[in-house]
Amino acid sequence: MRESMPLLLTESLDPARRELTHQHIETCDLCGPEWSAYKETWMVMGDLPEVDVPARVKAQFLEGMGVVEKRTDNVVPFHRRPAFKWVAQAAAVVVLAGGSYFAGRENAPAIPSRDAEITGVRPRDITPVSLAETRELDAEALSPNIQGRPDITNVQFVDSNPDGEISVSFDVSSRWTVKGNPKDKSIVRLLSYVLENDATPRSNAMEWVRRTYSDPAYADPEIANALAKVLQNDTHEGVRIRAVEALTMLPPAVASETRDALIQALKSDPNPAVRIKAVEALANLTKSGTVLDPAMVDTLREKASQNDENLYVRVKAAEALSHIKP
Amino acid sequence: MKHLSDQELMRIVQAGDYSPASEIYDRYSGRIYNFAFRFLKNAEAAEDATQEVFVKMMRHANQFNGDAKLSTWLFSITANWCRDYLRKADNKVKESEDVLVTLPAPTEFAPDRNLEQRENAERVRRALNALTAEQREAILLSRYQGLSYAEIAQIAGCSEGAVKTRVFRAMETLKKTLTGEVSGGGRCLNVVQ
Repeated sequence: MRESMPLLLTESLDPARRELTHQHIETCDLCGPEWSAYKETWMVMGDLPEVDVPARVKAQFLEGMGVVEKRTDNVVPFHRRPAFKWVAQAAAVVVLAGGSYFAGRENAPAIPSRDAEITGVRPRDITPVSLAETRELDAEALSPNIQGRPDITNVQFVDSNPDGEISVSFDVSSRWTVKGNPKDKSIVRLLSYVLENDATPRSNAMEWVRRTYSDPAYADPEIANALAKVLQNDTHEGVRIRAVEALTMLPPAVASETRDALIQALKSDPNPAVRIKAVEALANLTKSGTVLDPAMVDTLREKASQNDENLYVRVKAAEALSHIKP
Repeated sequence: MKHLSDQELMRIVQAGDYSPASEIYDRYSGRIYNFAFRFLKNAEAAEDATQEVFVKMMRHANQFNGDAKLSTWLFSITANWCRDYLRKADNKVKESEDVLVTLPAPTEFAPDRNLEQRENAERVRRALNALTAEQREAILLSRYQGLSYAEIAQIAGCSEGAVKTRVFRAMETLKKTLTGEVSGGGRCLNVVQ
């Protein structure tokens, strides 16, 4: 009988033999504890984490094959830049514009040279500036004082137009610090963007977001939706698992977004480890009394009975269903 | 490319166009790398395995049978590579835990993995290392990759019966190591027909 137990775990028995084996285990004093130990072993094995593939492996593979990764066309006549760089670029523009504003309004001496950052500039004092990949600025809005030594590259010059205006375009990098309450829409939007763009080490970002936004006072559906997008789109299962973990820590006020994302992952994530995380989270939710809509219940039913699904996913789906009150 | 199936991508490659390389890599590199890492117990070798498996997949795309699963084919190539590696190393792959400790996976030390999970992971790693290469290959493909016994048999080049035996023996060893459960003197001899 022991030889059949791995077959039970891996769903390799036909339904009739599976049923008979379960019936036997339930009534056999020798096989019951044995089966429990098998299940525990199988479960503990799930604690072995997934490992991220180092990025250089892909780069070397593609280089070896002579394949150049295609990028989305960009109508802006600059090279496409990673998110952090254009954030920095926009930041520098804001810093320069802000410096000009204050210098002009208060007729104060030039701000002492230091690293450019927005600290202490209140939104009520200046017109809010949106982040943008490119931005045009009138020269009069730019202070003649340049703070610190921002790195200016990719400079392009445009000769004078009929009005006699010339243009200088460039990329500029500088450090930008945005301070605010976690509930500030600008902070939430910025974090959502950071989560969704692969220029950032998203595992760190998600961990930070999880710690900050697990506080019920800061519940925001946009954060949940950003994590849901990571869960749906990221190519690394390790990152997707972190997204599930972050979603499960969000407050009940965004439970609806969390449920939707978990169900979607359970339905369609190609990696069993991610589906396991998702179904575990759903089981915990139903155990704590969270209500699922009929479509979600149907998904759990499908998973619980899907022959080619990972056994642990099936068991957890069944467990989630068992907590749902009729 | 994301909307194309594995078979459709491979047909493009078979026609001599390597543009789906990145998409195929993104779909399977995680699974391939993790399998190789756990099988070989060596991150550097796992990187080599992953890279070479995908290069081989592209260069020998015409050997891929469109009716088969791409994952099974890729795991076949990977398992062969890993077995060759172990053979070349004269079956003397470093068993030292130091190798694993000095080559941690980034996610293993993530702050949200609690102490129990980290300890369990270490125990599982040790337990897997104690298996024979054949048993480890079979249990890794079964437990972590969710492959059927028929697929594992195809990959390992043995019968389904042999796979069942390997998985069973692996599970017996793992059970003893991970749960401390030693089958008592009594053993049920009942056979379900």
